[in-house]
Amino acid sequence: MDSVILSLILNVVAFISIYGILSITLNLQYGYSGIPNFGMTAFVALGAYVTGALTGRLAMIYYGIDSNLDYIADNTKIITLLNSKVALDPPGGILLFIITIILSILFSIPLAYAASYPAIRLREDYLIITLIGIGEAMRIVGVNYTPLVGGTLWVGVPNLFKWAEPYDMIILVSLMLIIMFLIYLFIEILTSSPFGRLIKAVRENEITARFIGKDVTRIRILVLLIGSSLASIAGVLYSLFMGAVMASAFTRSDWTYWPWLMLIIGGKGNNIGALVGAVIIVIARQLIAIYKHDLELFLPFSVVWLEQILLGITLIAFMIYRPIGIIPEKPVKIRGISFKKIKQEIEI
Amino acid sequence: MIYIDAIIYSNLITILVIGFTLTYMIAKIPNFAHGTYAVIGGYVTFTLAEIFNLNPYLGIPLAFLIVGLITLLQYYLVIRPMIRLRASILSLMIATIAMEIILSAFIGIYVEYISRNYGKYGVYPSAFIFRGRDFKIFDLPGILVVSTVILISLVLLLHIMLTRSKIGIALRALVEDSELASNLGINTDLLNALAWFLIGGLAGMAGSMFPLYIQVTPLTGTYLIITIFAGSMLGGIYSIYGAIVGGYIMGLTETFGVIFLADILGVWVTAYRLLISLSILIAILLVLPKGISGLLESYIESRILKRISR
Repeated sequence: MDSVILSLILNVVAFISIYGILSITLNLQYGYSGIPNFGMTAFVALGAYVTGALTGRLAMIYYGIDSNLDYIADNTKIITLLNSKVALDPPGGILLFIITIILSILFSIPLAYAASYPAIRLREDYLIITLIGIGEAMRIVGVNYTPLVGGTLWVGVPNLFKWAEPYDMIILVSLMLIIMFLIYLFIEILTSSPFGRLIKAVRENEITARFIGKDVTRIRILVLLIGSSLASIAGVLYSLFMGAVMASAFTRSDWTYWPWLMLIIGGKGNNIGALVGAVIIVIARQLIAIYKHDLELFLPFSVVWLEQILLGITLIAFMIYRPIGIIPEKPVKIRGISFKKIKQEIEI
Repeated sequence: MIYIDAIIYSNLITILVIGFTLTYMIAKIPNFAHGTYAVIGGYVTFTLAEIFNLNPYLGIPLAFLIVGLITLLQYYLVIRPMIRLRASILSLMIATIAMEIILSAFIGIYVEYISRNYGKYGVYPSAFIFRGRDFKIFDLPGILVVSTVILISLVLLLHIMLTRSKIGIALRALVEDSELASNLGINTDLLNALAWFLIGGLAGMAGSMFPLYIQVTPLTGTYLIITIFAGSMLGGIYSIYGAIVGGYIMGLTETFGVIFLADILGVWVTAYRLLISLSILIAILLVLPKGISGLLESYIESRILKRISR
């Protein structure tokens, strides 16, 4: 019984960390800068593909394993072998973990640049459709190109925390939570710096920002690069937590629309709101998953569709009735300047 | 054979692009659910042909009605309240994406229902095509003739409606300035509702013809929306006539592009069809973001400027 509760808690915390990262990074892009990134899936998938395709192969080189084996066809054999190696080598496991995260950031920078370059200086709708397209394209490439992550099948990921067994999952999940908070802190610091005020200015009025000599296109590309490369870390963490990568799992609704709902519910333009939204939605979805069988007695269809309909309806309801979300955005605080005073002076 | 493929596909895409462009003109937003409307139309045909064993062509009028009613409902439940609350363009776009999520969930439910209840009779709703049930005219597939006739009559009807009829002129006034139009006594609400019904109806109609020649799956909408968007953009997004040209060029380029690439690289390319339409979209964004009508406009503008300076 204890282990069931423990695994449930680990599951919830892991998904809060994964979706928290997505919601916060989306907040940087949409909430603060007004860039509608509807291609979050692409970057999550990229992180996962890096983990699925490279971590195991790098580990093979690192541990000098016979390269006659085919990484995809003999995957189970290789992963078992790698796990037994990692079990005796804690620094190696941690090193591989760090390398994977760095690699996913490095790979997502060119992807984000290529994805945003054609449309970012044009209009929001062009950017949305290009990013939706690239998100779908990533899934299609993953499903059809077998050497990457096994095509329609899946590919295993070595357990990089095997050395800590039986506490490996606890260590991984707490690391995930720590990484999420580090990203939270980074974006909090970034958005309360002068740069944060600059991106808010770009969001509020692009022409004014351009007028005072700011390169709006460059700022937007920079924000998209930061946001999406951090989002790819969520893909790495998700694959490590699941222990496998399956290309067909990277659907738009799971990795783009749910994070969007979290951000809209929690409140765009403030990081606490984004995090609160992620916590609410992850717990709600977990509850649905727990009571799935009870629900399916009443429903004539799968719970997946119920979730998807609820997602759409909640999104529309919030857009209509409370577009500012549960926790609304607060005005910027700058030391030495009191907006109340300025407001009073203007009114006089 | 290749030409038949290309013409049928381009006809259907053009009908979709016309509807998509109409949304752009009326509501100033792209409708990201437009591809999903077509899939619903496809499922209407599926239901008639497979469940009721009727002629698949009966799906055309029925899909027009059903999808038209869906978009009408969408207008009254989502778009109109949001416009009344002065929601931003971006929020409206996100709302159409939310509509796409909801509609594709309903398609999923329908597919599941059919395969649960009719699966034992050999009915597979997750991918279907009725090429074999089409009739032949001089060895040509019937859908080739039907879709061409429908497209041409649609273009003519739209042209007559927009230039000659009172409703069409009111609609153009609405596109130009909705507040001014309502001040002049045009019932903008009714007109908007009519336009949305027409938009959905056209998309449903095009979608209902898809399974007669092209395989339809629940995911088809995602593939279509990129092609539709590219076609509309190529036409210059705010022009119906541009949409016709853009849609046709897009349909032809995509079909021939896929065939050409499959010829030189191998058949595996067809699995990446979405990447091909995405690359065309990106190419249009880079080279011709204002589309053909934008190009034409700037050409005319430069001619006028030249004449003035002379």
